[in-house]
Amino acid sequence: MTALAVEDLVGGYAAADHVVKGVSLAVAPGELVCVIGPNGAGKSTVLKLLTGLLRPRGGRVALDGRDVTGLPPRAVLEAGMVLVPQERNVFGTLTVEENLSMGCFLDPRRARSRMAAVMDRFPLLAERRRQLARTMSGGQRQILAMGQALMSEPRVLLLDEPTAGLSPKAATDLFGLVRATAASGVAVLMVEQNALQAMEISDRALVLVDGRNAHEGPAPALARDPAIRRLFLGGRGQGRMDTTGTARETSP
Amino acid sequence: MIEALLQALINGVIAGTILAVPALGFTAIFAVLNYPNFAIGALATVGAYAGWVGNTALGLPMVAALALAFAATAVAGLVVQWAAVKPLESAGALMMAIASLAAGLVLENALRFGFGNDLRGYDLPLLRDWRFGEFRVGPQQVQNFALALAAMGLLWAFLRYSRTGRAMRAVADNRDLALLRGVDPARVAAVTVAVGAGLAGMGGMLVGLDTSVDPLVGTRLVLSIFAAAVLGGLGSIPGAVAGAIAIGVAEEVAVLAFNPAYRLVVGFVVILAVLTLRPAGLFGARAS
Repeated sequence: MTALAVEDLVGGYAAADHVVKGVSLAVAPGELVCVIGPNGAGKSTVLKLLTGLLRPRGGRVALDGRDVTGLPPRAVLEAGMVLVPQERNVFGTLTVEENLSMGCFLDPRRARSRMAAVMDRFPLLAERRRQLARTMSGGQRQILAMGQALMSEPRVLLLDEPTAGLSPKAATDLFGLVRATAASGVAVLMVEQNALQAMEISDRALVLVDGRNAHEGPAPALARDPAIRRLFLGGRGQGRMDTTGTARETSP
Repeated sequence: MIEALLQALINGVIAGTILAVPALGFTAIFAVLNYPNFAIGALATVGAYAGWVGNTALGLPMVAALALAFAATAVAGLVVQWAAVKPLESAGALMMAIASLAAGLVLENALRFGFGNDLRGYDLPLLRDWRFGEFRVGPQQVQNFALALAAMGLLWAFLRYSRTGRAMRAVADNRDLALLRGVDPARVAAVTVAVGAGLAGMGGMLVGLDTSVDPLVGTRLVLSIFAAAVLGGLGSIPGAVAGAIAIGVAEEVAVLAFNPAYRLVVGFVVILAVLTLRPAGLFGARAS
């Protein structure tokens, strides 16, 4: 069974300039799929097209078999898919508690019980419930952003570079939370620049180049594939890619 | 001299608290819709007249007249937004500000056409000032001060505890994220304009209670309202209150040293000083 199915998605920021030129993917409940690729490959644009922040020019998006292609963000959220953006992903002038309640904006009657469940999963948020989000560290804000997204009990969670700007320790901790979220039954699609580490925790990986599927398969196998490592992960380096998707060796 | 200064401080705090009501409306609209609504002065005048009609023609008590002023101005604010400002939304904040200025002139002259240029007064009992040693405070001043505080308290509770108020703060903070969480920005914008304009109307009536009502009662406030919002930080709710009290005190103290005709210069000086030294204002980060 597939929670999210995307076929030949096409779109971008301008009518004549398609950043995404034909992306297909599928994520099952409880599965963690990472999308990696060079800068400008269209990874974040795919997420914006899926959630209605950008309108697709072609292709089809289905949630649990229901066509949600081109629906506005509110309708996509109601259908069960939620995005945690890369930057500015919490309301800085709102408290932790208020941020979480905004995650349940469409169903305020359930806000209290959902907040208790989210705080149970992320105890840090319970400890800081009255703290303004802008005063939290980057890692804490990412956890708050995840908690806010999970308030709506999504069937599909989209994460846009959740470890961007985090320390290695915070990134590892966050990857653990992402893995645990998937294990709870949520279908997780994660765009990540930290490709090597992302593939280590993912079930499957999709490599995008120039707005199209370039490689896909089980993440551990792709991570070990010498061709993939040579082409996209820079051998023994940190797994970051240049804009063309070609190898960029970094010193060990 | 010290007594005169303290009396000016008392008067300034009261005047500033009243000024904070329309300044809150102005800054709330800026925070959510990202443009300065210069119709705020004319909207304050609408509120002053609506309250006056409610009080003198309908015989409403002051609190009910104030509620009528809020409601009438909320409607007027929505008409200004939909008829004049919204059609120019895609042209940017400057065009929206100019549209609001033009709509304000239309409103002001419509009121002049309907009510004439005469000064109007509310149906208030004549009361002696209360004396505390060397200082004097008018009972009407105190009532206006209390009504302004009550209006601010209600706004605070609305923003803090209501779902719509929280959505307004969320849109002001991060519009895209609010959209992703299911907030309807168009509905929030409409509520913000109604509340912001309603506050301007209440402010206009409170000023009218303190002085009198004429077609320019709100227009005379525009510079002080703008200066208060800029000083506090455009888009900052606590900033608007702090800025308004500071402007109110500064205007009253300035009268001790200069001819009262120059009191409006205070607003200009504050705007120039803030934009030169601290463009984000005291509490804001948006103005920079």
